[in-house]
Amino acid sequence: MTIDQLMNWIPFGADWPALAFFAAVLVCALTVFLFIAVYALMAIYGEVKISSFMQDKVGPMGQGVGFHAGKWGLLQPVADAVKLILKEDIIPTLADKKLFIMAPFVVFIGAFISFAALPFNQHTVVSDLNIGIFYILAVGSLSVIGIILAGWGSNNKWSLYGGMRSAAQIVSYEIPAALSIITVIMLTGTLSMQGIIEFQKGTIWVILPNWIIFNNPFSFIAFFIFFISGVAECNRTPFDIPEAESELVAGAFTEYSGMRYAFFFLSEYAEMFVISAVATTAFLGGWNSPISGFFDGPGWGLFWFMGKSLFLVFVMLWFRWTFPRLRVDQLMSICWKVFLPFALVNIFGVAIWSLIIG
Amino acid sequence: MSRYFRNIFESISTLMTGLGITWRHMIRIRKDNVTLQYPEERWPRPERNIGFDFSEYNIIRSRLQVDIDDCIGCLKCERACPVQCIKIVTVKSGAKGEDLMDIGHTGLTSNGTKKALIVTRFDIDMSECCYCNLCVYPCPEDCIYMTGGPNSKKHPIDYEFSQYDRNDLIFKFAKEVEEEKMAKYLPQKEKVEA
Repeated sequence: MTIDQLMNWIPFGADWPALAFFAAVLVCALTVFLFIAVYALMAIYGEVKISSFMQDKVGPMGQGVGFHAGKWGLLQPVADAVKLILKEDIIPTLADKKLFIMAPFVVFIGAFISFAALPFNQHTVVSDLNIGIFYILAVGSLSVIGIILAGWGSNNKWSLYGGMRSAAQIVSYEIPAALSIITVIMLTGTLSMQGIIEFQKGTIWVILPNWIIFNNPFSFIAFFIFFISGVAECNRTPFDIPEAESELVAGAFTEYSGMRYAFFFLSEYAEMFVISAVATTAFLGGWNSPISGFFDGPGWGLFWFMGKSLFLVFVMLWFRWTFPRLRVDQLMSICWKVFLPFALVNIFGVAIWSLIIG
Repeated sequence: MSRYFRNIFESISTLMTGLGITWRHMIRIRKDNVTLQYPEERWPRPERNIGFDFSEYNIIRSRLQVDIDDCIGCLKCERACPVQCIKIVTVKSGAKGEDLMDIGHTGLTSNGTKKALIVTRFDIDMSECCYCNLCVYPCPEDCIYMTGGPNSKKHPIDYEFSQYDRNDLIFKFAKEVEEEKMAKYLPQKEKVEA
């Protein structure tokens, strides 16, 4: 539901609109935070399990006598969370205390406020902005400030290197990501997330769903450019040079421990979901069912949206456990020499395609 | 220019190969799995072949085991132990060679020796044991021995007796008897009036 509907439900909405707005925002924020927490626990469990399966191991199993991590290790993420909460919170003596404390929250805010424009189904969206996708792209790059703060505030050369690398990487990969989103906007003619999904109803090429990825060959390439740039923006492997544990210890997060580190972790997973959700919305039809006209209700909408997004999150995990890390210069050359030209060609391609065919 | 496109094509195809390999391993995990859930599953012990049958070894250093029904409480093993890890307490049974059913005491050993003592405590602290085997030789009834090897008929080999608590490494072989039943066999203490 939108925030406006929530405000109408609140009984004192008419008398104190500001208070009602605050209450509605609080309810939405808490819901989103709970969602992120639960999803992060699931994603951590999925990550340990999938990574183990890909390496012919079984991951946490929790067998044997005594209290272990539950059946199939289902309680492992809970144990991890408890461990992170109980750990000592260390602030280095020579760190810039204010920046050091602020950094995890800035990073988390960058991922957190993106959820405001994600359309979970036909009705569930915190706020259906008319510039939704632009808003998400804009606030998505906020986290780079947090990472630079972390790198600088730690007063540690590894952290500083990590922060600078992260800044260079995120700022570079914003460009192909935004350019491939432009192809979507050219086709749909709207920046609103719900509007983009509405455009993708129905079928195309007889049986294929009318998703933008199938709309024309250029948007097909644009999807991959966007998704891979998104992986790079999340600092996930193979683009995790800001964290690069074999080169930079843990990059910008070297000096963090306990709850502060957990917040970086949480925002990484949240950001993965945001990127997957935007890719789903912009290219894979959002809450539209793959078979047009079937399984179309709001419940199914939530199912399709979550299914597609979580599949893309799984693909990110799959990438992580398959590909080795790129070198810094390779990373930059892929962005500037491959993705950028292809994204620009895509824009022209889509423009000509929609002139001739559309 | 053609090299540029060839590079792109090559990287995409090789990346897909990598993804395919990890995917195959992921879906075939039940078959490919190499992890053993250790306490529940173990590697089978390999068949041994070192030229002679393993029942003919004269010494195996595994875990000490006591057949308490055969023990006559002579304390020879306790005295032989160089690290004092064996603790034995005995009381006189009164009736030599007779079964005392209420505390599970048998009168005769398997060699036919009549037992004059009830063993109320027979503790071996395996965390202190130095596996020297010196306690095994003096035993007149062959009731203390290392598990496995030539003794596998008496007790299968046990080399994995790891515990969560160090106190659990103290193996207690004496029969657990309720204090009330045991009381009449214990020496009567003189009551001291305050």
